[in-house]
Amino acid sequence: MPEVVAGVGAAGCILVSLAVLLRQAPLLPLGFAGVGAAYAVHAALRTGGADSRAPFVAAAVFCAAELAFWSLAGSAGLALRRLALLVGSAVATAFVGSLLLTVAAESSGGVGLEAVGVAAAVALLVAVAWLAKPKPEL
Amino acid sequence: MTRAATPKLAAYAGLAALGLLAALAARLPELVVVAAPFALFTGLGLFLARSPRIAADVELGRERVLEGEAVDVSVMLDSEVGAERVEVLLELPRELVPLEDGNPRTIRLADRERRQLSYRLRCARWGAFAVGRLYLRTEDGFGFYRHESTVDGRRPLKVYPAEESVRTLLRPLETQVFSGNHVARQKGEGIEFADLRPFVPGDRVRHVNWRASARRGELWVNEHHAERNADVVIFLDSFAEARRGERSTLDPALRAAVTLTAQYLRQKDRVGFVTLGGMLNWLLPGTGTAQLYRIVDAMLDTQIVLSYAWRDIDAVPRRTLPPHALVLALTPLLDERAAIALLDLRARGFDVVVIEVSPLELVPSAHGEVGDLADRLWRLRRGAVRGRFERAGIPVAVWGDESTLAEALEEVSSYRRHARALRA
Repeated sequence: MPEVVAGVGAAGCILVSLAVLLRQAPLLPLGFAGVGAAYAVHAALRTGGADSRAPFVAAAVFCAAELAFWSLAGSAGLALRRLALLVGSAVATAFVGSLLLTVAAESSGGVGLEAVGVAAAVALLVAVAWLAKPKPEL
Repeated sequence: MTRAATPKLAAYAGLAALGLLAALAARLPELVVVAAPFALFTGLGLFLARSPRIAADVELGRERVLEGEAVDVSVMLDSEVGAERVEVLLELPRELVPLEDGNPRTIRLADRERRQLSYRLRCARWGAFAVGRLYLRTEDGFGFYRHESTVDGRRPLKVYPAEESVRTLLRPLETQVFSGNHVARQKGEGIEFADLRPFVPGDRVRHVNWRASARRGELWVNEHHAERNADVVIFLDSFAEARRGERSTLDPALRAAVTLTAQYLRQKDRVGFVTLGGMLNWLLPGTGTAQLYRIVDAMLDTQIVLSYAWRDIDAVPRRTLPPHALVLALTPLLDERAAIALLDLRARGFDVVVIEVSPLELVPSAHGEVGDLADRLWRLRRGAVRGRFERAGIPVAVWGDESTLAEALEEVSSYRRHARALRA
């Protein structure tokens, strides 16, 4: 099973690398989904409670995604400011992740909560699709 | 201003939704933690998105510069609603080279901020340009939305050709009726001694030649050659040019034309301008600084336009070519139509001089037996054209990399002196 985790994770990393080298933005989310899938397999297979390292994994994946999109954007301007914002975002991600883990550990779940989660995810996708339409005149 | 979502927005929303759904399906809170920053970032980015409003203005340090000089360009950005990242691209023709790095430039503009960007450009080549079209691209802090707009703040910039170094100018054979710097054949007011004649009532006392008068026992006066100006027409052949990389025969021809125009105008001659080629352009002869600027501005519009139409000198208005004018032709002798037009001018009695701007250094070297033969034939043909000119009484001076314009003009002057001596 560690081989499966490593294999899926490596495939994700290769996709991300290819996306950056070939400057193909659509490959990036596939690559990070692969890395996320590898972590999901690892988390599913481990015994015990929730993985306390999840906030740090989240911060690392988020930083990698930001840097990957930054490199595809091609503009190196304001590098110091962007790096500072990135570091701040990573710290905030780890903090929020820790809070979420704590809340998850203490909540009892339930169908209603699950339905809310699904609805939120779907609503998020619909809202983004609508807002992402190009608007020529502003 | 157009707005478009970047691929990052769809990617983050997709990863967040995928992570949350996977967490629900697999009952893994760790996936919620991994998906949370993507979801939060997307939500915040959508909530805080706004359209920037940025005005831009461009100013040039100078509107007229010489080839090789630098000019400063100042871009003033005024933001009513700012943006986290603003990329500013100043559109530049390839003849204007930025001296510092940084085009495009990326800056951050806060709300109601005023920022100035300075550019220093080297004018590598002559021409008339419009500088100041700006392309603005902004991104919000999350990188989800991109706004693009174009600001047309173009200002005219004229880059004049650099002058060549010339010591002495060609002296026109005939002068005109107005006062100038040339010693005319006619007698009149001047300082060059012409002749002696007996005194007649009305002659000025200061013209009396006392030595001659004492010798002859009666009053004799000096006569002088009048000082007159001349008419000069700069004739530019724009039918064809030889070009290799950045070098061409048109550039030195333009520089020579500007130099000769400025020098002749300085000595009070009337100078006109004719461009004969795919584009036909002319200016009536005139004097003064205003005429210099008119001619140089007209020269800036000169370009080689390929045309198979037959053009001869009849297309040029007569007043552009005053009688007895000196016609200084700058030509690479690549097109027969220019040669025929010059021979036509000579046949009409104009004093024509040809400065051949040599294309030999710009032509690729011949390869093989056939290439060598073609090259020799081409050079022989050029020699034959020069021979036709010389038989018609048109001096031809070749100006290439190995000689200067001053040397070419001196060659013409010595040809004329030799011709005068032979006639005498």
